[in-house]
Amino acid sequence: MAHFYLAVAIAEIAITVLLFIRLAAGPTISDRIVALNTMSTQSALAVLFFAAFAGRTIYLDISLWLASFSYLGAIVWARYLERGLL
Amino acid sequence: MRDAIVIALAVVGLAFTLSGAVGILRMPDVYSRIQCSSKTVTMGALPVLIALVVGQGPISSYGSRALLVAALLLILNPVASHALGRAAYKTRVPMWSGAVTDEPREQSGAGDAPADGPAAP
Repeated sequence: MAHFYLAVAIAEIAITVLLFIRLAAGPTISDRIVALNTMSTQSALAVLFFAAFAGRTIYLDISLWLASFSYLGAIVWARYLERGLL
Repeated sequence: MRDAIVIALAVVGLAFTLSGAVGILRMPDVYSRIQCSSKTVTMGALPVLIALVVGQGPISSYGSRALLVAALLLILNPVASHALGRAAYKTRVPMWSGAVTDEPREQSGAGDAPADGPAAP
């Protein structure tokens, strides 16, 4: 079962690589933010599954940090686009 | 039996995540891409997290963190998607030429362009 967790983590990273195309080619800033947001969610899941594969609980905090602060970053970017620098 | 449930949930989640990533690549404008991004989280990330909870048990450290990440995603993803969509609309990101409705423009009075809104589709 541990190797299945590793396979899930690798599959999430492979899906993330697809989103690099939209991150590089997005016509507007909003496209890039959407792609970056999805990429960080996928990488949080990948880190979580790699922690379950490796048996290291220290990686779980990294996953939690990624999941929470990526959305905070998206909200900050949206406020910046709407109102400029405060 | 438990392994079969874990594998089925993870495969469903990965399939939805792949379809959402392809949608973000192929959709024509920002608003459709935001919708695909939300579907990626709701139907893609949650089954994968539930697979980890089923595989490791909800009281183990992995399972409890997976539940915490799932609750966080469920709360934060609609907020971030809404903020991004509103910011894209306010900064006048143009809609796709085949878009059929623009409700804020219709509510602000048909015909004249509103003060804040994208270019006419």
